[in-house]
Amino acid sequence: MEVAWIAVLLLLMAGGAHQPAPASTPAPKPPTRQTTGTVTPPAAASPSATAPLDLDLLEQRLRATRSIGFFTKVTLKNQIDDLLDLFRDYYRGKAKVTMKDLRRRFDLLMMKVLSLLQDEDQELASAIVASREAIWALLADPKAFATLKG
Amino acid sequence: MNRLAVALARSLVAAALLAVPLLAQQDEEALKKDLTAVIALHGLPCGKVVAVKVQAENDYAATCEDRNKYHVYLNAEGRVVVEKMK
Repeated sequence: MEVAWIAVLLLLMAGGAHQPAPASTPAPKPPTRQTTGTVTPPAAASPSATAPLDLDLLEQRLRATRSIGFFTKVTLKNQIDDLLDLFRDYYRGKAKVTMKDLRRRFDLLMMKVLSLLQDEDQELASAIVASREAIWALLADPKAFATLKG
Repeated sequence: MNRLAVALARSLVAAALLAVPLLAQQDEEALKKDLTAVIALHGLPCGKVVAVKVQAENDYAATCEDRNKYHVYLNAEGRVVVEKMK
C-alpha cells in the first residue's frame, strides 16, 4: 500500500522529467515562507519551481521518510486518486468542475502534503515545492495526463 | 572474567527490559500522530488524538483532546474511513 502511494506520487512528480534538462541541475530551493509559517501559494512561485527532479533520489527519500505515518500515506493516496479521477472526468467532459477548481484542489492537496513534511522532512518538502509547477503542467495538459497510469 | 561477563549480561537484559516499553510508547505516540493527521485530512474536528484503542488490524477507535471520538479503519477498497462515534 505504501509503495502504491509512492508510485502515485512519483507518477505525479514525473512531470519534472518531461521538462528539458538544463546544462546543470540546480539544487532544489527551500520553500518560501511567509511570517505566518505557511508556504507561499503557487501563484507567487519563482521560475525555479519548474526545476526537474532526481526521481531516483526522491523515491528513496519518500520511502525513507518517517514524517508521514502509514494511515496518513494511505489517506493521501486516496485523495490523490480522487483528484486524478476528477481530472479524468474533466477531460472526458463528465465533470462539472472547471480547470480553476481543479487547480484549487491540487493546491490544497499539495498544501496537505507539505504541511505533513515541512516540520520533520524539510528537504523533501522543498523538493516537492520545487516540482509543484512541473506536476501541475503534467496534470493540466490533456496529452501529458493521458500518459499517466493509475 | 566470569564476573565481567555476568555483569555485562545483566546489563544487556536490563537494557532490553527497559527498551521494550519505551519502544511500545514510541509506537503508540507515532500511531496517535498518524491518526491525528488522518482525521485532520478528512476535515474533521479533533485537535490531537490522546487515546487509541486497537479494535482489529488497521481498525482503531481514536479519542481526541476535544472529546470527539472517531472510528478509523482501512476498508476493503483500500480507503481510510473516518466515522464519528457517539
